[in-house]
Amino acid sequence: MSQLEPFLAFSAEVTAFPIVELQGTGQAESYLQTVEDIVGTQRLDRLLVLYQSLPLATREDIRQARADRLRRDIFGSDELGPIARNIIKLWYSGTWYELPSAWTEAYGPAPQDVTFVVAPSSYVEGLLWTAIGAHPAGAKAPGYASWQWPPHIPPFAGDPAATPR
Amino acid sequence: MDSSDITTLEELKSYLYSAMQLEHATLPPYLVALYSIKPGTNLDATQIIRVVAVEEMLHLTFAANLLNAIGGEPDLTVPGFVPNFPTYLPDGEQEFLVHLAPFSRQTIENFLQIERPSLAPSGVNKLVARREHGPFLHLGTHPRQTTMRYYSIGDFYKAIEDGLVYLEGEAQKQGKTIFTGDAGRQITSQYYYSGGGHLHPVTDLATAVTAIRLVIEQGEGQTATIYDSQKELAHYYRFDQLIHGRYYRSGDAIEHPTGEPVSVDWDAAYPVKTDVKLADIPAGSELHQAAAAFNQAYARFLAEITEAYNGKPHKLMEAVAHMFEFRNAMTVLIRNPLPGSNGLYAGPTFEVSPEAAGAPQAGAESLEVVA
Repeated sequence: MSQLEPFLAFSAEVTAFPIVELQGTGQAESYLQTVEDIVGTQRLDRLLVLYQSLPLATREDIRQARADRLRRDIFGSDELGPIARNIIKLWYSGTWYELPSAWTEAYGPAPQDVTFVVAPSSYVEGLLWTAIGAHPAGAKAPGYASWQWPPHIPPFAGDPAATPR
Repeated sequence: MDSSDITTLEELKSYLYSAMQLEHATLPPYLVALYSIKPGTNLDATQIIRVVAVEEMLHLTFAANLLNAIGGEPDLTVPGFVPNFPTYLPDGEQEFLVHLAPFSRQTIENFLQIERPSLAPSGVNKLVARREHGPFLHLGTHPRQTTMRYYSIGDFYKAIEDGLVYLEGEAQKQGKTIFTGDAGRQITSQYYYSGGGHLHPVTDLATAVTAIRLVIEQGEGQTATIYDSQKELAHYYRFDQLIHGRYYRSGDAIEHPTGEPVSVDWDAAYPVKTDVKLADIPAGSELHQAAAAFNQAYARFLAEITEAYNGKPHKLMEAVAHMFEFRNAMTVLIRNPLPGSNGLYAGPTFEVSPEAAGAPQAGAESLEVVA
């Protein structure tokens, strides 16, 4: 079964971008494939199953409990934490970053684990450009003289300065 | 006088409004096809469609300059200015529907129909009774006799050119001119850059005729040659290259391009649902919000363009920057699967209502009202 749906749900929570925006990059399938190819389907499945078992954040106190569990069980895990962080970096920069050597020593080998840009379009579609209200150099030209206007920084989930979406 | 002739200034103004509507109406179909192409694929097709779309924007601006030159007031916010797709276009005796659809052979064939060069043969009436009377907008309809439409878009533009010449001739006989518009309302290259040709101000008959001929030559091709007087390929032949898989080069015969091969991958496009509407997208979903937000942004853009065309040409710069922003919003919609559609994708719906332009974010449902 495709892991795309839970992969997108996890990605949306950890990048603070809605799923519509993630799909809108056109990179979702290739990022999922990248992670599966490098760390293995089973390891990614474990991360996503763990993620799906987190308490649903319907109330403020549960929201905190959920955030704590996310931090402790996934980001705090020696095995899954570096993968989770790499997924965030993938979305933001379109680049897979080589995992820490401690990870490879403990859980390797991972022969394809080198730093690389997933595809020419993944650089262009990096969320970092949207997050800072800029555009990737050489692509998505914003129009002559647009630099004279302030950048549009999108509101994101949990941003105290932003109005709720 | 033929009933297809323009004999008053007010008529000429309504024709030029229709011309703006017509030029604009080609943009949503071209842009949906363009942005449906998967990134990194179909580079030739991307370039071809993009260039044609940019030239349509130039034509829209020329139509606005023409209207301003004769004292008109271009208004892209009039309810119904943006068609509720699909929309009808004339093609000789037949009429056909133009759709919002993804890049495909069928879509490019639809674009060829839009740009097909054709003028009513001599002896055939330039005005034809409309056949279809569905709910959709008919472009090329006679502005006054709304049951009649022009045989072709080429004939429609020819009527405008003849009308300009006739009305200015009549005015000159009385020592007057029809070109009484404020020259400060003209959009010039100072405000409009890399837009598929040089944008000149329209201030007299000579500049008006040059403008209208550029629109005709780049667009409908009207003459039986592949290249126009600027040595550029007319739109029909640009698209034709995708069907033939080969570029035209100087000296080629019509339908027989012999230049470099054009590689086309018809499958490398997001299968956007044809003529997708907001109502097709689950209400309350993030996707629905994004589609409604796009329509609002598009309505605001039309209002900004209208402002630029009405004495504030410098506003065009800001509008163009917003255009690039909603280009990104279009690609986001096109790359999102449409729930419950058996594998089709969403897309911009271009359902623009006057309320949408100024409406706050809440009340997205009301945006479904189509002007």
